[in-house]
Amino acid sequence: MSESITVNIKSSGDTKYEVTTATSSTILELKEQISAKADVPSDRQRLIYSGKVLKDTETVASYKIQSGHTIHLVKSAAKAAATGGDSSTVSTTATDSQSTPASNQSSQVPSNISAGQGAFNPLADLTGARYAGYTQLPSASMFGPDGGMNAAMPDPEQMSSMMSNPMFQESMNSLLSNPQMLDYFIQQSPQLRALGPQAREMLQSPFFRQMLSNPEMMRSMMEMGRNSMGSGAGFPEPGTGFPAPGANPTGDSTDATTTTTNTGTNPPNPFASMFGNGMPPIDPFAMFGGAGGAQPPAETDSRPPEERYASQLSQLNDMGFFDFDRNVAALRRSGGNVQGAVEYLLSG
Amino acid sequence: MSSKRINKELADLGRDPPSSCSAGPVGDDLYHWQASIMGPADSPYAGGVFFLSIHFPTDYPFKPPKIAFTTKIYHPNINANGNICLDILKDQWSPALTISKVLLSICSLLTDANPDDPLVPDIANVYKNDRAKYEATAKEWTKKYAV
Repeated sequence: MSESITVNIKSSGDTKYEVTTATSSTILELKEQISAKADVPSDRQRLIYSGKVLKDTETVASYKIQSGHTIHLVKSAAKAAATGGDSSTVSTTATDSQSTPASNQSSQVPSNISAGQGAFNPLADLTGARYAGYTQLPSASMFGPDGGMNAAMPDPEQMSSMMSNPMFQESMNSLLSNPQMLDYFIQQSPQLRALGPQAREMLQSPFFRQMLSNPEMMRSMMEMGRNSMGSGAGFPEPGTGFPAPGANPTGDSTDATTTTTNTGTNPPNPFASMFGNGMPPIDPFAMFGGAGGAQPPAETDSRPPEERYASQLSQLNDMGFFDFDRNVAALRRSGGNVQGAVEYLLSG
Repeated sequence: MSSKRINKELADLGRDPPSSCSAGPVGDDLYHWQASIMGPADSPYAGGVFFLSIHFPTDYPFKPPKIAFTTKIYHPNINANGNICLDILKDQWSPALTISKVLLSICSLLTDANPDDPLVPDIANVYKNDRAKYEATAKEWTKKYAV
């Protein structure tokens, strides 16, 4: 198994050599091959690959060096480096222009500077176990191909079983009680942003949380979401997807809905009661889909991309992606999901 | 997703690494790398090879990698633990950055220290007030630890 591979040797000053060697040969043999091409004796060569200094006795194969890859060559100034503190190298160090009679200065060098790392990212703890738990709970199939929830509504059974999972409820609660996270949700979702300060109130309201923690309620919300998407009208027909007020699973929401029934012929909507009259119904999943930067699914956009993806585009700009056309193309592919778009931009 | 991105960076680094840096996984753990930087020729670190450890967070590239010197180095922005004071490793991190770009930034930090935002104030003082002494000490440390 002694295949031969060709590697590039990069030395200081951008000089490059090509060396063909067998994978079974040792590093020392490789160094001898290099010394024939570069004017550096093998005992003064230091070869570095993949961040490691290659040891003479190891083989090329043991470092998994692949054909076409590049190895760095560093000339060591003195033999001492190779032999480990050899004192017979006076002549080489004398020619070394860097040699400094600085032994007296070393006493002024603070040898024990234990300055701690001062600047930690305060947001780093957002990646802590709590949130990690949250993101890993729902199975991958619940999300769209790019991680957004908007691509396909998950199976209601699956959804409600997830919703009734105490761990999910717990993390949901902690998410909603974290003002930073709330701001993030609100900022991410165009629908919520349009609501202004009311959005915060709504997300923090105990009613909203109770609704999140009530599987039955979630299911009816989801069905409503499906119907509205299916018909494209935005409202379900009364009685089809949404339970009648009497059948509403939570007690206090029945009270709440009575206030809205007199506003018009629209079917009772538990969300509407939270905003007072005249507010559009909000699909809770659109809001959480929005946390990933996604657009509400029911929206049929005829708007230009710079308007439709305004928030995502500015996020991408903040991340250092400035090519507008590529950004838009990536967002289109990912359905408006920033994370998916970044993945696409990086792999493209 | 992070492993895909790290693998891509690894492939790019193997094919065409920057002329003065090199990096790769320590063992089988894709999230723990080591890197080496050759001291820039126009700096007191010339001739030295400096090693660094790189730890990728699981949410890389949305969070910056943790990079620290494992070779001792005399520099106003690098402390005795090897921690590096560099904005792009903290608040200025961008997912568009790569390990290769970060290592090149560290290289340029070696050539041009930033004494106005020091991690080691003592070295920054020497750097500002007695440049010759700073260069002599940096050369001495390079010879002692990095050659």
